[in-house]
Amino acid sequence: MARGEIELNKLTKEFAEVRAVDGIDLHVHGAEFFSLLGPSGCGKTTTLRMIAGFEQPTSGQILLDGTDVAYTPPHHRNVNTVFQNYALFPHLNVFDNVAFGLRRAKRPKNEIKQRVGQALELVQLSGYDKRKSSQLSGGQQQRVALARALVLNPAVLLLDEPLGALDAKLRKTLQIELKALQQEVGITFLYVTHDQEEALTMSDRLAVMNGGHVEQIGAPQDVYEDPETLFVADFLGVSNLMEARVVSAGAGVCRVALDGYELETRGTKLDVTGAAKIVIRPERLELEEHGTASGLNRIPGMVERLVYVGSAVQVIVRAATGESLQALIQNTGKGIPFEQGTPVQLHLPPDAVRVLPFGIGDEPSLKADEPAEETAATT
Amino acid sequence: MTAVAESRPTRGFSPAARLRGWIRNPWGRPRFLVLMTWAYILWSIVPVLIAVQFSFNGTRSRTVWDSFSTRWYWGDPVDSVWHDPTLRHALVQSFKLAGADVLIAVPIGVLLALGLARWHGRGSGASNFIMLFPLVTPEIVMGVALLLVFTELFTFVHTGTTAQILGHVTFSISFVVVIVRGRLFSIGRQYEEAAADLGASPFVALTRVLLPLLTPAIVASAAVVFAISADDFVISQWLSKGGETDTVPIRIYSATRAAPLPSVNAIATIMMVSTLLIVTLGFVAWRVFTRGERKEGAKEELGAFGM
Repeated sequence: MARGEIELNKLTKEFAEVRAVDGIDLHVHGAEFFSLLGPSGCGKTTTLRMIAGFEQPTSGQILLDGTDVAYTPPHHRNVNTVFQNYALFPHLNVFDNVAFGLRRAKRPKNEIKQRVGQALELVQLSGYDKRKSSQLSGGQQQRVALARALVLNPAVLLLDEPLGALDAKLRKTLQIELKALQQEVGITFLYVTHDQEEALTMSDRLAVMNGGHVEQIGAPQDVYEDPETLFVADFLGVSNLMEARVVSAGAGVCRVALDGYELETRGTKLDVTGAAKIVIRPERLELEEHGTASGLNRIPGMVERLVYVGSAVQVIVRAATGESLQALIQNTGKGIPFEQGTPVQLHLPPDAVRVLPFGIGDEPSLKADEPAEETAATT
Repeated sequence: MTAVAESRPTRGFSPAARLRGWIRNPWGRPRFLVLMTWAYILWSIVPVLIAVQFSFNGTRSRTVWDSFSTRWYWGDPVDSVWHDPTLRHALVQSFKLAGADVLIAVPIGVLLALGLARWHGRGSGASNFIMLFPLVTPEIVMGVALLLVFTELFTFVHTGTTAQILGHVTFSISFVVVIVRGRLFSIGRQYEEAAADLGASPFVALTRVLLPLLTPAIVASAAVVFAISADDFVISQWLSKGGETDTVPIRIYSATRAAPLPSVNAIATIMMVSTLLIVTLGFVAWRVFTRGERKEGAKEELGAFGM
């Protein structure tokens, strides 16, 4: 069996009134980069804290390499954590911070010296031994936190939004570094984030969480391209949602009707007809000049607004069916052949349209800003 | 617009207008507040400085300055602090009480603070609130209550040093708890969790991480406890059995009611200087221990010392 396998069985955590984590099942393979993605308050941090041992589950199992550790205190678990704000000990220098765990394990002195040296080298901080954490930049502190956790060679490394406090550019660099580091050390990384791009960039697989539940588990591509619920479709990037009715569903093709137009989509797993929503990503929505082509999967519309975002131009189009849709056109330097008020034709390629029935995921609680039970629990 | 124009430092206006402009200048320092602060400092410190000055008076007068002399400290063979046994004993008693108070109240207070900060059950709110009681109870009430306790209830504790120490510890613990708990809350749980995560047992996390981080608050509370104990009159007086158990404040009080000599000023000066010294030491230690937490050059608030 691979080292660093995590299995969560019906894991539940209730705080005073809220059920922060509601019976989740999850299986993380050994040496996998796995992300828990979700808005604040979705239970991802609570899940991580239960695996680390800082919270006791209300019920359920946490199997670490086959052993239930749900009731093992944190200092006896073979997992280490990189905290959101690093939690470097301010009274110790970099070397002593990294050596802290080895000293608790009563390793001999020269082994400690050697392993701390290696760990600092791994995160490219050799020569910073004597610095205090207050003398380090945010990115450097983050690396020390990483070295401090990795030096113990844990079965699983838990990362709680470790890049959250850094600026966008540094975050991008460290995303790539973290992924490379994970592949180098071959340790299971369980990564908690609310940043969908971060999760998509780094993960082997990810779980999208909402309201204490897991909405979908899969590889980044599957989750992004094939969202199973409205919430997932919406949380992972901007999505155009349209009300529709499934006319016929089958293995090959699925036909949906919306307001007098009929669309053909690639076959879905559902075998139901009736009210549904269809989803299409802005970058998959094609704009054609009015009247050029007609027929399948085309709806007329009118350009409402153009938004320049640098690498692309967002075109907001009011479709004939009434919905306002967003299309993303890459900025190739040739300019956009549309302007406000231009009549256009929307093309929704069959393989870009996803059909989601009502009832699964219900209404997406968009960019959940409600006071997070998660924050209340962790502070 | 007019208000802005009015407050500009202008040339050619009357002195009164210029003074107003100088005080009101919204871009400058808050000069009115600065003036008020200095007025307060002068008001409060001048009497103290005068008292200190007369402790060095060459004659027996506490109001008419004659010449500089240290006779009231040790020169005078009868009435100096050094040679008058009542004054000397008072000084010893005050330091004894303050020292014992620090040694007993600080460890108990730290443990209490740890317990109260980590206790989130039924009754934790009430206990946290009750901790503040000694801070708001009139000292005289506390003194009477303690005297009753020691004369009626726990009669095996006799008035005198033991009762005085117990009394001082009783009201000092609250100060320690308040200071240390404040620091505990600002530290948060993250360092303990990090320590546990790295394999430290709760005890090791306490000794290796939490106590070092609490050191500034512990030192600060020790300084505060020393200062308030040395300063205390009411409880020391109620629980004193007279003679050698009278502290400096009691001695000063009774001497001032009889025929006061500058030696009273001298002993007060000694107390003041030693208390200041202890608090300064505490402050320096606090600066040293929190060095790593401050960004270089950043302004920091005084933490426990700011209260």
